[in-house]
Amino acid sequence: MNKTIKIIICLACILLSATSSGLVLMAQSGQDRPAVKLTFDHFYDHAELTSALKQLQTAYPELMELVSIGKSYQGRDIWAVIINNKKTGPAEKKPGFYIDGNIHGNEIQGTEVALYTIYYLLTNSGHLEAIDRLLFDRVFYIVPTMNPDSRDYFLHLATDSNSPRGGLAPYDDDRDGQLDEDGPDDLDKDGNITYMRKRDPRGNYRSSADNPMVMEPCLPGEKGEFIFLGSEGLDNDGDGLINEDGPGGYDMNRNFGFNWQPNYVQRGSGPYPFAWPETRAIRDFIMKHPNIMGAQTFHNYGGMILRGPGARNLGDTLPPDRQVYDFIGKKGEMILPGYRYIVIYKDMYTVYGGSVDFFYNLLGIFTFSNELDFDQYVGTIRAGRTRASEEEDSSARRRFGPVGNLEEIIYHQLVLMGEQLVEWKPYKHPLYGDIEIGGVKKMGRRVPASFQLPETCHRNAAFCLYHADQLPRLNLEEIKVKRLDSGLFQIDVRIGNSQVTPSISALAAQKKLHRPDILRVQGKAKIITAGVMTDRFRELTEPVKVREDYFLVQNGIPGFGYVDFRLVVDGSGEINLIYDSLKGGYLEKKISLK
Amino acid sequence: MSKLKLISVVSMLIILTVLIIPGSLIGQSMSDNQYQSPAAVTETLKKMAGKYTDICELSSIGRSYGGLDIYLLEIAAGRNNSKPGERPAVLVVANSEGFHLAGTEAALNLASTILSAYGKDNYWTAFLNDRAVYIIPLLNPDAASAYFSTPRQERAGNGRPLDEDNDGQVDEDGPEDLDGNGLITLMRVKSPEGRWLIDPEEPRLMRRADPKKGERGEYLLYSEGYDNDADGEINEDGPGGVEINRNFPHDFEYYNQRAGLYPASEPETQALLRFMFGHNHLAGIINFSTENNLLNMQQTGRARAGTDRVRVSSRYATFLGLEPEAEYSLKEIAEAMKSSGMVGAEVEIDENLVATFLGLGPAMNLDRSDQSIYEELQKEYKNGLKEAGLDYLEKRARGVGQGSFPAFCYYQYGVPVFSFDLWQVPETKKSEKREGLTPDRIKSMSSEEFLTLGEEKIAVFLKEQGAPSNLNAGRLIKMVESGQLTPVRIAEMMAKRPGVSAGQEKENPEAYLLDYSDTVLKGQGFVDWKIFNHPDLGQVEIGGFVPYLKHVPPMDQLQDSLKFHIQFSQKLMQRWPVLSVKETKAENLGAGLYRVTIYLQNEGWLPTSLAQGRRSLAAYPIRASLKLSEQQKLFAGRPVEMIPVLQGGESKKLEWTVQAKKGSNLKVIVRSNRINPVDVTIKLD
Repeated sequence: MNKTIKIIICLACILLSATSSGLVLMAQSGQDRPAVKLTFDHFYDHAELTSALKQLQTAYPELMELVSIGKSYQGRDIWAVIINNKKTGPAEKKPGFYIDGNIHGNEIQGTEVALYTIYYLLTNSGHLEAIDRLLFDRVFYIVPTMNPDSRDYFLHLATDSNSPRGGLAPYDDDRDGQLDEDGPDDLDKDGNITYMRKRDPRGNYRSSADNPMVMEPCLPGEKGEFIFLGSEGLDNDGDGLINEDGPGGYDMNRNFGFNWQPNYVQRGSGPYPFAWPETRAIRDFIMKHPNIMGAQTFHNYGGMILRGPGARNLGDTLPPDRQVYDFIGKKGEMILPGYRYIVIYKDMYTVYGGSVDFFYNLLGIFTFSNELDFDQYVGTIRAGRTRASEEEDSSARRRFGPVGNLEEIIYHQLVLMGEQLVEWKPYKHPLYGDIEIGGVKKMGRRVPASFQLPETCHRNAAFCLYHADQLPRLNLEEIKVKRLDSGLFQIDVRIGNSQVTPSISALAAQKKLHRPDILRVQGKAKIITAGVMTDRFRELTEPVKVREDYFLVQNGIPGFGYVDFRLVVDGSGEINLIYDSLKGGYLEKKISLK
Repeated sequence: MSKLKLISVVSMLIILTVLIIPGSLIGQSMSDNQYQSPAAVTETLKKMAGKYTDICELSSIGRSYGGLDIYLLEIAAGRNNSKPGERPAVLVVANSEGFHLAGTEAALNLASTILSAYGKDNYWTAFLNDRAVYIIPLLNPDAASAYFSTPRQERAGNGRPLDEDNDGQVDEDGPEDLDGNGLITLMRVKSPEGRWLIDPEEPRLMRRADPKKGERGEYLLYSEGYDNDADGEINEDGPGGVEINRNFPHDFEYYNQRAGLYPASEPETQALLRFMFGHNHLAGIINFSTENNLLNMQQTGRARAGTDRVRVSSRYATFLGLEPEAEYSLKEIAEAMKSSGMVGAEVEIDENLVATFLGLGPAMNLDRSDQSIYEELQKEYKNGLKEAGLDYLEKRARGVGQGSFPAFCYYQYGVPVFSFDLWQVPETKKSEKREGLTPDRIKSMSSEEFLTLGEEKIAVFLKEQGAPSNLNAGRLIKMVESGQLTPVRIAEMMAKRPGVSAGQEKENPEAYLLDYSDTVLKGQGFVDWKIFNHPDLGQVEIGGFVPYLKHVPPMDQLQDSLKFHIQFSQKLMQRWPVLSVKETKAENLGAGLYRVTIYLQNEGWLPTSLAQGRRSLAAYPIRASLKLSEQQKLFAGRPVEMIPVLQGGESKKLEWTVQAKKGSNLKVIVRSNRINPVDVTIKLD
């Protein structure tokens, strides 16, 4: 007695002290001194990511499992983190939420968002009620980077902000029978691929009057200063073209097996679905965990919360499922200021064979894809422009100089202090002779600056957690047992769902994508007949096909709704009533037949 | 006592089974004339590889879902001179369907014919010295095994278990051989829900009741078996998984379990695709399956291009001089593109190209220029069939299917593919009543053949088909002449007309099968209905056609066709493009300048790339590169000339002006992945 009280007091003290000290750093970590301290002011290469994940695994063994779900083309591990509170049940009996980032090698910040989400869940577990509630009946499957090869290429080798997008398996972009034989070359050895220009009075570009770093197209009648020569590089294979077949050259987010189209319809789709080790690893991982019901993928950039369909030919999403998307997506616009909740093919562009469509259309998983961040300079410097250039802007052409517009260059000079800018400098090119090289570096575009990264991480993690919370949460409500004259028992049971996501998507039910939910009795009991109650006042039921001790619930339990079942059971004593949903969780309740 | 009785009953049953199994007479007799099980195919291949060690190599490209190896025989001589994997090659694939045992037989025969020709026949000796032939005789061994199993049940799927009734369990309710004859046939049972009738003309056959004629169905039909999982359904979830010949990625049927969850979901499909994309030198494909794409050019689906009016996005509309708000036909857009000059003059602009350009989806029809190649070969093939007495194949020839291997080969791999079905159930005189034209016959005609029918016959056909009056023969002929319509499209249009089929279906659609069984097979193709007391259904009758009747002929029925198709396949292989340099010239222009000219020719009959290959970006252009020495300098011309295509027999003049020392040599190397390499050295005097 004494002992128990002591323990309770102790526990209370620990909890109290943890929450009160945790308040200070709540935004990043619920703990003052978390067992592992990660920062989100820089980008993790694969080695650093691996070490961070291993440290977290060591620090939170009861919550986190780290698994390698396959090797990339170059042999790097593709890491997946499974976060499950084992005390509240095995992972496969809880609705799962999946996250991946960085499928496009150059779109790196998705990895930081995913890592932050892992970190946030782990360090706030036991400190923040919202997190504990999530971890009570949800499980997370998180793949911080599914393209580690190109991630490391992007971080460590010379490139620009747009590549490498795909993986690094050699690919014959120009159909000359040779693979990756003419990529860009870092001529000035600054670790970046920028641009080349050559001074030429007959050129069609000139320096901007506002800022000499900016190159703008000449208007008719204007005197030119430069010809623009494109990205830094050489004609490595002597075929008269420069940089026409660089590393990789395919797009893994066009390689998923739904609404897949060949390369001539969808550039970069690869020879056939799941042709790459990375896409196969993701497919196998996600299919091995059929309890996954919600998913989020991360890209950059433009501030979008995207849902499918990726192409017009798929038609519109079924209305009940669309309502689920709308409910969560619109909340997302509140969580992520400036982000627009939109449809891929209608509001962005057509994507055949994207992972979003595969997850939703074949696996029945509600999936969003976020385009993270905006142009770094957005909202910074309208005031930097002269009146003259404002006027010229109206002709629109001036805005898009090939190496950056005025706002962007001023941002780089004044906000980032030139850290991500290469000012024009001379170079002797073997083909073009005297040229100049310059432009914005790879980290100056598409990814957030280091001071912006934490906000990107937190807000997008918050959106993921909101979606995860909106996965089905089923309850066995109102169980009534009645003994009938015949000696059989009539059991009326209501299964409710307090969240927006149904336990089976409308599409999955229609196309029979996975097994339906199962209502089962366990013990000394046999179901004689059963039905779904369609009118509880008149007690009308629609009969279902019964198999001895269970029946199938084809449409599951709707979002924010319930289903009333009536069973007539032959049995006695204590029995278990089980509601077993593949994606909606597992409920079990003892009832006695007397 | 009772035990003894049981044993005697069992042994009686066994004896009976042996006597009754028609298969034992059809294919499984103890003579040499038998189909080969997957294990026997492996043995045959190993023997071949052991006998011809110098010119062939046997390997496995992967395993089926059920764990059986998928073998590949590489036939190539002169292995020390060049790697077979880098030579232009022909790939032969057979039996993607599993039940097409004739295909496996053909592929093996073709292999042994070519192997034994090496060193004896000049053509094949030369062919194998600088080219290669790859043969995969059995792509779907899981399904093929079913033919050799007892009880025998037709099966096309691989070993992947499927949950066909979506109850969370797989393969829990398959068929059983209730009457113990070693065959899974049908059960008919009287039921108030019945939709079938016993055909009054032929009581062995069943026919759907026609409510329009006041008929009421009396019977339900099931395959032979129990309701193993007590769910009220019979045989609703048996073994047999994904059909490999529906699992390829052109026009794939999503949401059809038999086709797979997604394209190339199956290990068999993946193994073949991996091999093909790893061997970028495969110039063409011969396929043995139930599809015959020379007799029936019907493609997998209806063309999406050509019918819709579409909007052009404002971005392109400005370039093309079109209104972004208005809708245009693809043809109109093609015209606008031609006059805009935004596409190079060498590119042929047609509706297909426009469809690609506007993102309207994949090609769904043979490109016109490719179609003319197929039509040419069709003529030759049909003549050959007639001479060999095999023209009965035409009537039931099937076009390429959705998600099929040959469809993938043409539309995505972009190379010529020829698919042969080898055999069809022959029609006895009795069932060949109608002499007139039918949509089926029209379907197998080329445009030219259709036109030679003449206006009168076509008019009769249209009348018979109940065509609308505005579609008269003269108009139809004009449309076919101009290429707006093909016989395949006409047949499709007619087949879709309501009420027409009623006239044709006067005869039970299975009557010809019964004729075949009665006459050719002496009754062995049909199991007579017998009463059986079924535990779930009560009294039923078990009977019907024996499994595989439609697909696996007695071996002796196949021989003529095998012989012909192996010869024809060899002929086709000789049609592939061959590059050569016809003539070279070096003119001395003075001052150390030389004008060098070479004439490059395609000596073969087929073009160096198909139009669809170019559209699908799968074709390799021919690249003629000048290899200059340090002292040589290009004065005029391109360092690399790209030639997208040379038609059969076509030649192309290439010209460069170089600055070089007198007496030096200039080298030009000509390469394209799927054609033989050519090196030219030109002396500059």
